Amino acid sequence: MNNTLQSAKSYNRIINRSTNRVVVILLTIYSALTVYPLLWLLISAFKTDQEFFLRPFGLPEHWMGENLRRAWSVGHMGQGFLNSIIVTSISLLLTLLVGSLGAYIVARFRFKLKPVVMGMFMIGMLIPIHSTLVPLFILMKQMHILNSYGALLFPYTAFALPTTIFIISAFMSSIPRDLEEAAMMDGNGLWGIFWRVMLPVSRPALATTGILSFLQFWNDYAFALIFISNNALKTLPLSLSIFTTGYSTNYGLTMAAIAIAAIPTILIYLLLQEQVMKGMTAGAVKG
Amino acid sequence: MPTSGRLRWFIFIGLAPSVALFLLFVIAPMIWSVYYGFYDWSGIGDSRFIKLDNYKEVFDDPVFWKALKNNLIVVAASVFGQVPIALILALVLRKTSLFQRIVRGAIFMPMVLSSVVIGMIWQYMYHPQVGILNFALDWLQLGNLKRQWLGDPDIAMYSLTVPIVWNYIGLYLLLFMAALSNTPAEVDDAAKIDGASGARKLFAVTLPMIWGTIQVAVILCIAGSLKAFDLVFVMTGGGPAHGTELLATYMYNNTFNIYRFGYGSAISTVTIIISFMFIIISQLLLRRDQRQF
Repeated sequence: MNNTLQSAKSYNRIINRSTNRVVVILLTIYSALTVYPLLWLLISAFKTDQEFFLRPFGLPEHWMGENLRRAWSVGHMGQGFLNSIIVTSISLLLTLLVGSLGAYIVARFRFKLKPVVMGMFMIGMLIPIHSTLVPLFILMKQMHILNSYGALLFPYTAFALPTTIFIISAFMSSIPRDLEEAAMMDGNGLWGIFWRVMLPVSRPALATTGILSFLQFWNDYAFALIFISNNALKTLPLSLSIFTTGYSTNYGLTMAAIAIAAIPTILIYLLLQEQVMKGMTAGAVKG
Repeated sequence: MPTSGRLRWFIFIGLAPSVALFLLFVIAPMIWSVYYGFYDWSGIGDSRFIKLDNYKEVFDDPVFWKALKNNLIVVAASVFGQVPIALILALVLRKTSLFQRIVRGAIFMPMVLSSVVIGMIWQYMYHPQVGILNFALDWLQLGNLKRQWLGDPDIAMYSLTVPIVWNYIGLYLLLFMAALSNTPAEVDDAAKIDGASGARKLFAVTLPMIWGTIQVAVILCIAGSLKAFDLVFVMTGGGPAHGTELLATYMYNNTFNIYRFGYGSAISTVTIIISFMFIIISQLLLRRDQRQF
């Protein structure tokens, strides 16, 4: 009896160990397939156009940095980088500032219109942003802000606000009120409490929403495509569009351009993996 | 304590910027689209009030229905692709070993890329001449399966669902992993004592425990599918022959390619209404199911 039980146990263990091994192999294959498109991109960026046909799976014979250099200048990607940095950082600052102030009000104060305001933000989170592209275009045309940084940073901020406010206000609601009361004893007014207590304490929530908004702004294509036609204002994703039309048979060059655009976010992801994952999941659930 | 007047002033100043930005750039365009939907307008010059003609045309337009169907294909691919794959991965990726962390990191990575980057990569993967997919089929001696993946209107839409699933699976993986790690350890122990293991435990214990999260994931799939504009726009632009037209690309093409701003606005309005219907229906389903538990 005891023996059979033991042999059953060791049998189970063997089964477990072999299923584990199968799982590991399957997972390895799956993640290899997942990463392959990106790997292929990075390798292809260094290939000559002939090598796309001659050795589709192989490594390039000479790692041609030339593609990267040409893509950088042909696509005016330096300008694109600069524009992306300007638009993203201003929008991010605006979103965090306006959003956290709004979040503080929503988290701590009662007022008559609160349900209306919250309901409005809720509706805003539900509508797919692309369905408003046409009316937004018309509106900004009438406001004469098309083809300016404003055409991007105001809509970016406006669409990021609901998620930002919901995440930060949820965090602020969990902060013990003692902190604010102590700050008030020290002679702080409401602004002082916001700047000196609420904002510093909410750093984790600010980081979460900051990363989420950063990726949204930095990666945006649709808004930039429709609201910006001036070459000097094109953001990094938009600088790729020239390669989809004019250089599409210049495979190596196009791949190099895509790689240049992809590398910054991949680097940020590799550096801040846990925070990025947390931010994007929180954003998806709240949004 | 601040006086009530100062308090009211503080509340007003604090909320005014976010409310103003939101009203102007999110709510106003929605209302604007209803208004312009009543006009025949080319974007410049005079517009002509044509009552409900645009809206009537939307409902009689076969391409509109095709676009709606394509949106539903994306929903189906997300619900039946992303959710089950992510769920299986979450069930086997519960450890914190280095290997599992790397796998998780790899699966999530596409989430941080711009959709234009993803679209262009996959455009080249599917490319009829240099695409790696056709080369792979040749290599596997399956040359007769080679297709014009994005050029054939009958299959292009299905080709597009692969990068969409690939793009977002990491997000659903994390959602499910969070839900699984929140299930109390006692439940696992109880299942062990009752002798439930393997598939039985999965269906009788684990899945019901995270049912709420699965429903949230389905709602996210529905909402997300309506956002799948960029990828399709970059890869096919809605073509060939409207084969991959989505509501958003159709709106874009009508407005900015053939300058029918009024009609584009009407499509925009109808899309917003459809999105709300989708979301309200899925919310109702969610609520009813929650009452049962």
